[in-house]
Amino acid sequence: MPSTAAGSRPEDLTARLDRAAAGEGEEALLTVLREVKNQIIGNKTKKLVYLHLGAVPRIVAALASARDPAVIVQAAAAIGSFACGVEDGVRAVIDAGAVPCLIAVLSHANDKVVDAGARSLRMIFQSKLAPKYDFLKDKNMKFLISLLNSDNDNVIELAASIVAHSCEINAEQKALCDAGALQRLANLLEGSSNQKDACLDSIAAIIRKNSEVGMHFASIGTGKALNSIVKLLKDRNPRTRLLACVCAISIGHASPYYVQDLQTRTKMMLILVELLEESGRVGDDAPFALSELILDDEELHKQAISVNVVENICDCLHKYLIQPRRLHGILLVFAELCSRLEECRCLLMSQQVLDTLVNALKHDCPDIRAAACTCIRSLSRSVKNLSAGHLSSERFVVPLVHLLHDTSISVQVAALGAICNVAVDFAAKKSVFIQSGCVKQLVQLSKSMDSRLRLKAISALRNLMFLADTFAKESIIRELTISTLASLICDSETDIQHQALALVTNLVDGYVDAAEHIFADDGLIINAVVRQLHSASSAEICIQGMLLLSNIAAGVESHKEAVMSYLVSSRDDKSIPFIIRFLQNKDSLLRTAAVWCIINLTYQDGPDLSTRIARLRGAGIVSQIKTMINDPCLDTKYRVRTALEQCMTFEDNIP
Amino acid sequence: MPVRVVENSAPSQVSGEDASHQHALPPACSLLCVGRAFSGTQNVSSFQKDEAWRVNVRIQGCDLGHGYLCGTMEALNVPLADTPVVTFWEGEIVDMKNYTFYTGKWEATPENDIKHWSKFPAFSSLSSQVEADGGKSLDLSNYPYIFMRWKEQYFVNVGTDCGLTIAGFYYVCFSCSDGSVNGFYYDPNSSPFQKLELKSTNEGRLGFTFSSYQLQ
Repeated sequence: MPSTAAGSRPEDLTARLDRAAAGEGEEALLTVLREVKNQIIGNKTKKLVYLHLGAVPRIVAALASARDPAVIVQAAAAIGSFACGVEDGVRAVIDAGAVPCLIAVLSHANDKVVDAGARSLRMIFQSKLAPKYDFLKDKNMKFLISLLNSDNDNVIELAASIVAHSCEINAEQKALCDAGALQRLANLLEGSSNQKDACLDSIAAIIRKNSEVGMHFASIGTGKALNSIVKLLKDRNPRTRLLACVCAISIGHASPYYVQDLQTRTKMMLILVELLEESGRVGDDAPFALSELILDDEELHKQAISVNVVENICDCLHKYLIQPRRLHGILLVFAELCSRLEECRCLLMSQQVLDTLVNALKHDCPDIRAAACTCIRSLSRSVKNLSAGHLSSERFVVPLVHLLHDTSISVQVAALGAICNVAVDFAAKKSVFIQSGCVKQLVQLSKSMDSRLRLKAISALRNLMFLADTFAKESIIRELTISTLASLICDSETDIQHQALALVTNLVDGYVDAAEHIFADDGLIINAVVRQLHSASSAEICIQGMLLLSNIAAGVESHKEAVMSYLVSSRDDKSIPFIIRFLQNKDSLLRTAAVWCIINLTYQDGPDLSTRIARLRGAGIVSQIKTMINDPCLDTKYRVRTALEQCMTFEDNIP
Repeated sequence: MPVRVVENSAPSQVSGEDASHQHALPPACSLLCVGRAFSGTQNVSSFQKDEAWRVNVRIQGCDLGHGYLCGTMEALNVPLADTPVVTFWEGEIVDMKNYTFYTGKWEATPENDIKHWSKFPAFSSLSSQVEADGGKSLDLSNYPYIFMRWKEQYFVNVGTDCGLTIAGFYYVCFSCSDGSVNGFYYDPNSSPFQKLELKSTNEGRLGFTFSSYQLQ
């Protein structure tokens, strides 16, 4: 059996590296570097052995001090090989200071040396661990452009890789564009397959979410660059098709003028769905590009239905064992597709998709858990689905509630979004939400310092209170407490105030005794509401507050009298009652809400009705309503007529 | 057993892009909003006997931008049914943007449409325009009536073997002034012109109350 020749074991070679560097001469160094390189190429185990022996810093030192071009070539190749496919290798190479040495090599007079340096650096810049290149330094930018203008394909691809890896912020995108990088990259799209992919990758990085740069790209060569991208959508290489799609999507988002015809967008959608069948990175990245493509694009969502996109993606779920990253992307696509159209939601309400979602809620990966929540949120935008109770079963609610405790804030926020919607439910009992601890946790989150969490939690409680039965309403209010509710009505955030007011409105609707909570603790809640009505500048808050007063005014005589006391000030108070301001407001919804309150206060005969009407008249409210008999808003006009009829009927009855 | 609905492949009557710029949406009416309840009767008389079922309706969803309304319909004294029968329905609001007076599906021909709409007195001032150009030039944004089609989608509390059909749909006319709903059920396989008459109800309260939810 053959055995390793004496002196060729990794330990021996590492020792020989030391000896060669110490003075045995470059000839010896060249031999040992070549041997090390040959041993590690494609051999992960060997790479790890050499890493363990500390060979990498020795090779980088050899590279830094070498004069013989052949030695530099071998050292660079060995370093590149260490950085290929092994994260620990990349880390060791970077830690040993290989990147600046290799960059220096790129300025060497010998073409072979430059080529070896470029190849090696490309390996390093394929990894996320590679250092970021600072384009904003003038010297660096000039150097990068010189690389892009090189005649050497490997150097060009390296430059493109550096851009794809390092270009992140707006200023860098703009600087690269101004320095002519985009123009040069566009010209290079005709090159080899590798070069095309590298250029597409870097173009995508430069134009991503930057409309100014995106529009500049589209105008290069009066649309020639853009046409090159569109042509590459049909390339035979799957990765090239994917990257062309990514670029085209970025350009389309940059300006509605480009890549916006439905035919091209549909074509891209089909390409990306087809790419889902590819193994590896292309198939994993395809759904992310697809979710970007269809983002907020209702027209394309409709098109997705007609070209069976949902069915095709569901088939993928069926056929393969889906890797986590791909599953994350697919869930994002589903979430977007069913965010607007009922028809898409219907297609996704299959047992198979629902099973996938339930499992995804319990997945180890937080991104997948969050994406599943987002998908459930989109599906539950359908009143039809909510009314059928498909998503408010224990199967969904229990894991969603569990995610309210998730260690990841983004998962918590996504779970809250889903719970907000499924809480609407339409079933009066809401038992699954109460028994699962959902209410308890929502109440905790409604006290969070993070206003996002506070808002979503109070929104979910408001939805839970919608058409709930007495038992459910009492359970919620007991957990929430009067004082917390009063402080949420006065929260610093207007949206939270609005949700809290809507929650109280829902509490009182159909549950007369709930008014007792409103007046409890010396009127903690009603005082908070009235303070808001006196001071709020937002029409939305005033509308919600008036609907709440209307609901209270639909109660027994004492409730009507209580509302009256807030609407009609005492004789000493000369200020204009807030209800008059609302009746005169330009927002018709606020005018209507104010009139509804008067309708309820004058509804049917009661012992105090005549006094109430007299007080309303005395406060100038009836005469204000009379001026609104021909209100430009149809709804307000009809409600004004009802209110006046009720006031006048009583007037007619006065003997 | 429910009669299967054959989806019509004829071109939809939904107005195109241009129309969306011309037509304002119908007025938001606080008597036709989420949570609002209606009660009344549906006349199901046939040649053999006079019969009317008590009916309760509750609005569960409303999206004027998409011309969409939905809710539940509860039929109370249905013969041979042990419990009230609840169905979920979805409505198309005739706004000339999302939906026109022409149904274009559910086995309803334009003649059926005109025949049913014409039963509503509120339609009489619109009929000539609808027959002339499909109503393209009509502006319903300030019209005191809202025309809709309500289509039951599924039984909520009974199985499809309950002996009842939801194959047809209702032509509906809602009055913005008093919240009354009048409708005619259309199903080629059922008695023609079954009349639905509903009134807005405050469910025994001493006034009208409001409740709402907000989806994320």
